Amino acid sequence: MSGPYGPPYGRPPGDSGPPDPYGRPQSAQGPPQGPQGPYGPQGPGPHGPPPGAPGPYGPPGPYGRPGPYGQPGPYGQPGPQGQPGPYGPPRPPYGPPGPPYGQPYPPYGYPPPGYRPPVRFSEGTHRLHWATAPLRAFTILIVYFVLLGFPLLLTQTSDGIRLELTPAVVGRFLAVTVPMGLIAVGSGLWAWRGLRFRIEDDDLVVETGLLRKRKRRIPLSRIQAIDVVRPLVTRVFALAEVRVELAGGEQSEIALRYLGRHPAQDLRAELLARAAGLPGHTPEAPERHLWRVPFGALFGSLLLRLPVLGAGLLFLASLIFLAAYAEGGMLAVAVPVLLGLIRAVIAPLVMYANFTVAMSPDGIRLRYGLLETRMQTLPPGRVQAVRIVEPAIWRTFGWARIEVTVAGYAGERQALSSTLLPVAPRQVAMHLVSQVFPGTHVDAVPLLPASAKGVSIDRADGAGTDDVVFVSRHGWPCRRTDVIAHARAQSVRLTTNPFQRLLGLATVHVDAPPGPVQVAATDRDLGEARAIVESTARRSEAARRASGDPSRWAAR
Amino acid sequence: MNPSPGEPPYEPVAPPASPDPARPPAPPGAVAAPPMYRAAEAFAPGDGLHWSPISGLHTLHRLLTALLWALPVGAVGGFLVWRNNGGAPGLVVWVLIVVVVVALAGIVAELDRRSYGYVERADDLVVMHGVFVKRLIVVPYGRMQFVDVTAGLLERWMRIATVRMHTAAAATDATIPGLPAAEAGLLRDRLAQKGEARSMGL
Repeated sequence: MSGPYGPPYGRPPGDSGPPDPYGRPQSAQGPPQGPQGPYGPQGPGPHGPPPGAPGPYGPPGPYGRPGPYGQPGPYGQPGPQGQPGPYGPPRPPYGPPGPPYGQPYPPYGYPPPGYRPPVRFSEGTHRLHWATAPLRAFTILIVYFVLLGFPLLLTQTSDGIRLELTPAVVGRFLAVTVPMGLIAVGSGLWAWRGLRFRIEDDDLVVETGLLRKRKRRIPLSRIQAIDVVRPLVTRVFALAEVRVELAGGEQSEIALRYLGRHPAQDLRAELLARAAGLPGHTPEAPERHLWRVPFGALFGSLLLRLPVLGAGLLFLASLIFLAAYAEGGMLAVAVPVLLGLIRAVIAPLVMYANFTVAMSPDGIRLRYGLLETRMQTLPPGRVQAVRIVEPAIWRTFGWARIEVTVAGYAGERQALSSTLLPVAPRQVAMHLVSQVFPGTHVDAVPLLPASAKGVSIDRADGAGTDDVVFVSRHGWPCRRTDVIAHARAQSVRLTTNPFQRLLGLATVHVDAPPGPVQVAATDRDLGEARAIVESTARRSEAARRASGDPSRWAAR
Repeated sequence: MNPSPGEPPYEPVAPPASPDPARPPAPPGAVAAPPMYRAAEAFAPGDGLHWSPISGLHTLHRLLTALLWALPVGAVGGFLVWRNNGGAPGLVVWVLIVVVVVALAGIVAELDRRSYGYVERADDLVVMHGVFVKRLIVVPYGRMQFVDVTAGLLERWMRIATVRMHTAAAATDATIPGLPAAEAGLLRDRLAQKGEARSMGL
């Protein structure tokens, strides 16, 4: 089944395969891993001298003990507790005195072309990129010019409003613009100088303000996701914004705007490594490309939905009416429909263009966007629940979309960041889901059909569970499959409204943090519903015990 | 043999809790052969436990709240009816309507009080309530973010309080109103203690 996507993804459906969540490359048969190479035991690979042996570039450096790449990588299973990790003693790997490597480039033997030393965010206090100040000043000035500056240049004469640059007008303009410019520059400088951040022990400390200082200390273990966002304007300056999402609602994100593009990547890697329980300066984890959504497929999938097709037909019909009967009233139909179509097709198209999914030990990495590019990282265990959406037309092509709930994306950011995969062949989608919830395959979970007594248009298909996930499926034209891991379930509820009680039915909700996914098994028989509640409670208790705290995922 | 590839970095594949993998996980009750429930038992506490009731003052509190609302609404509405040439009969009808509404509120409050029950089980708290929509909420202690005890002016005067458990899910609405203040404090302390012992983060 190739379809417009080319060959389907390599793994057959229904085969969850060996559990390799976050796909550590199997170093035996894995494909070539690019210049970095796999993190597995390689011995004298492309990483320079074998551990201990003096390399061609001087002493082996601070890694006196088993070399950094000679042992199971830092993202694998750690040795028994207490034994020094593969990176040597966990605390300061490079003593403050003395140059860290003896030479300014890394122990790879030679500096690769275009090598730039990474910014060490673990040490010292850092500021935003200096270009933040002019960028901000520039933004303020543009807003000022449009709202106030340009009108100041206009003069009202007897025959309308005209642009006349007489000395009086220019003087008036300058008298307002110069102070405004000063204010803009001052505000830019303030924003730039007023924010400092550093990594202290296991916390990210952000200090704001110059006169009245405010200090925020964020435990790295609470990080839910890290986004690197590059709005269109900042791409000109090679800047990027780093957003750290915490579980705690609307106010709880940390936005560092703006850092340089590469330092932003370094900070992301550093924060994730520290949150994973690895020492600082751990190089960025390698990643394995999983899927790229072709532009044509994205466009086609956005068009081939029943509401969009219906709206398109309505739009055409109103245009025909408009042309045939010169009936201006039809514009009242055509314009809103057109706006709706733009919102439903063009906006997602621009937003999710070039969508790429990659797996890495520090989480799922998503990259997307045409004008504003985003790079999202969801660390392991941070995905709370998943919804697989299959609209009616998509099912004939075997396409699916995945939405996720991540605690931390609240309010407006929820809608922006809740897509894990805008469209893909079903196998790919299911493979990704099985990576998110390791140890199970959603299609293999047997679903028990809901009671036949239930009456609703949005039919409940069924629900089922295994030891890892709870699955419920519903919807007729647009089929939705909701999946939540037992280890992530917050609470279990049993509800019956009066109508259901008349029929002896009930609904079981497995609650996830607020987000697009609400898992509910509707219209179960009362007794069965209670049994589902009890078994779900028991399973989630067992799963929580087994999984433990999701923080420091690499050091367990 | 490389030990690391294939090992999940954060969660074991399947918790060793499942006794025999041969058994299909199908009827969604399974880890340790849960008891089957009859429809009549759907809202029973089970395991020989009993629902702890809430205080009878809960009804009184709801009734008083309804009365406090009814007084200004009744007065203003009555005044308007009387002014807009409703006359004495209109006024009487209006007062009757208000009284009936307050009485209904009182009856619903009493039914609600009777429907309320909570049980502290080994691993979770179960709250059951609801007159029209019946709800049974199971909140594991390990999932609690915090517990709070609130008491309004009226509640403080009646020495009752409301205990509310918060999880990361907004839909979790585990609220126990109308507990005697001392009992509410004890319950909160117990819950907080159990929650701390089993806290799991998100």
